[in-house]
Amino acid sequence: MKLAHSVAPPAAARHAADAVRTLAFLADLSQAFAVSLDLRKTLPEAITRVADFMQAEGASLFLLEPATRVLECRICVGPVDMTGVRLSIGQGVVGLAVAENATQIVTDAATDPRVWRAGDEASGFVTKSLLCAPLGTAAGPIGVIELVNRRDGHSFDAEDAEMLRLIAAPTSLAINNARMANELVEQQRMKREFDLARKLQKSLLPKRRRGVFPVLGVNLPAHEISGDFYDYFELPDGRIGFVVGDISGKGLDAALLMIRAASLLRWAGKDGIAPGAWLARANDELCETTHDGRFVCALVGYSDRDGNALQFAGAGFPPALVYRRGAFSEYASGGPPLGIMAGIAFEQHEVELNGGSLYAFSDGATDVRDADGKRLGNDGVRELIKRHATMAPDARLRALLSDLKHLKLVDDTTLLLIEKPRAHDAQVLLEHHMPARAEYLRDMRNALRKLLDQLGIEPALRDRLVLAVDEACTNIIRHAYGGQGAGGIGLRVSRADDVLSFELTDDAPCIDPDRMRPKPLGECRAGGLGVALIDTVMDTWHVEPASARCGNRLVLRKRIEDKGF
Amino acid sequence: MRGVAIDKTGVHMSGIASETIDGYVLIRLSGEVDLSWSQQVRHAVLAALESHPAVGVELSEVSYIDSSGIAALVEGFQNARARGSRFALVAVSDAVRAVLELARLDRVFLIISDPASLGEA
Repeated sequence: MKLAHSVAPPAAARHAADAVRTLAFLADLSQAFAVSLDLRKTLPEAITRVADFMQAEGASLFLLEPATRVLECRICVGPVDMTGVRLSIGQGVVGLAVAENATQIVTDAATDPRVWRAGDEASGFVTKSLLCAPLGTAAGPIGVIELVNRRDGHSFDAEDAEMLRLIAAPTSLAINNARMANELVEQQRMKREFDLARKLQKSLLPKRRRGVFPVLGVNLPAHEISGDFYDYFELPDGRIGFVVGDISGKGLDAALLMIRAASLLRWAGKDGIAPGAWLARANDELCETTHDGRFVCALVGYSDRDGNALQFAGAGFPPALVYRRGAFSEYASGGPPLGIMAGIAFEQHEVELNGGSLYAFSDGATDVRDADGKRLGNDGVRELIKRHATMAPDARLRALLSDLKHLKLVDDTTLLLIEKPRAHDAQVLLEHHMPARAEYLRDMRNALRKLLDQLGIEPALRDRLVLAVDEACTNIIRHAYGGQGAGGIGLRVSRADDVLSFELTDDAPCIDPDRMRPKPLGECRAGGLGVALIDTVMDTWHVEPASARCGNRLVLRKRIEDKGF
Repeated sequence: MRGVAIDKTGVHMSGIASETIDGYVLIRLSGEVDLSWSQQVRHAVLAALESHPAVGVELSEVSYIDSSGIAALVEGFQNARARGSRFALVAVSDAVRAVLELARLDRVFLIISDPASLGEA
């Protein structure tokens, strides 16, 4: 093209040869870009090739920084190093190429007003001719490629401009691809960090205690990682320490503070010091090291082994609720959140639950929104607690969470429940009490059906189990109580491994178990069908005296397929 | 919930209605048939058999039935057989059919799928 030929070939043949050479060069350039997404490696090589192919003395690449809208020279080959030179859009030939999104040719740099001459003055290099082509994607300009001085001493012409425009296309594409790849790598790196933080957080939550234990907690993060935490641990004197906390703010730094605060609060409570002093100790420690305006709301305390005598203190945490026989008591925090001001004392509460339950919940629970965007609030939470009060602790927390999930969760939500543990190894799923009267059977069936649905029991089996338990209640009403309409029936559903137990207790006179014999099914007779149905549906059943004096306990058992619930 | 007085025929959409189709007295049951009102079902069935030679019990709207409800139907069946009357279960819902099968009584009763075909039974 620009090579000096001693004997000029005919024009048509020369053009054809140029076209082949051009195509080969563009292919090579694209290939070079495809080899690696590392622009630091591919771009300098590519710009050197462009300078050689175009027979230019120098070539440089300016990239537009999206945030500042400044063009910076990132790569430069040739006699003068322009790397680091920054131009605004519209400034110099380079800036104009972006501003007008058009190739710029300067044939006489000495007189052309578009030329930015500071570079020459500093280096002593004489710019004679310039050629600039904008680089861009569908989303807008990304930079400029610039050539300086043709090696043959001529100025750049329209043919050169067209060639550089062709070269600009694969260059833009390569830069754009590499940028997107980098963003992806960055996203993956952040995701890995979040995953790590989440794993670390989960590892801090206490393991569920098997058997008899008075403290139970659940945590429902609103986003990937949580700013909430809870913890419980056993002291040498038999008491159980508990912690529930909430970090202000969201995101990775809140998550990291949560990890620190959780460790700190656990450490501060290990000695068994009074809850107020426990909070004060953690507060002083946090104040020394937390200066970014973040703070920690927390409630800490101890429960005796029986889940009855409690001692606790709160720091900016929502009031703890004690629900006892249909009524609520509220216990407000005795000080501000932790990490704000050192040297503060925290008031503490001492409470005997006497059959009641203590609920501590982070403000995520009260911040839950209904369909109209209204906050659930303290009253709403009370309503939910009341609604599920008769359920066994595990099932109750699950039901509370499930209700909150159906509303709109805007913040992490954590619930801690403390109450007298039930002296039963099996996991109690439902406790339902009813007067021994037929019109209350329906409510019992509904409660049982709901539980079995929650457990994921398939409908046909669910209906048979409901029928069998209903038959058992019917039997108690008619035969144990003699249809008098007095007395009550207690139903407790529990689960040990894959066996569901349905335990029905009454305080009727002891019945003769021999009277409860199943009649053969298929016989067309009106009596004795109920026991036969129980016998068919359940794996095992038996009746025993509830106590030495009176009352009966009827236990029905059914093995179910474990669906991992 | 606990304190609500349960109207055996109203509040929970449980109930008994009857009409005459093609010579049958058709007793329509709906809702959950349990101990709380199965005696009423029993009385209704026996009373219908007292005055009519053909009685059907329509069960398409019954979502639950316990053994006392089944017993009322069994008693109707036996009563009809003793009198030489006709007795049929009509449009049996899945819930009722499941209990009939469980009690192995699904082949004991005359079961008619559609009230419109009562006349042929």
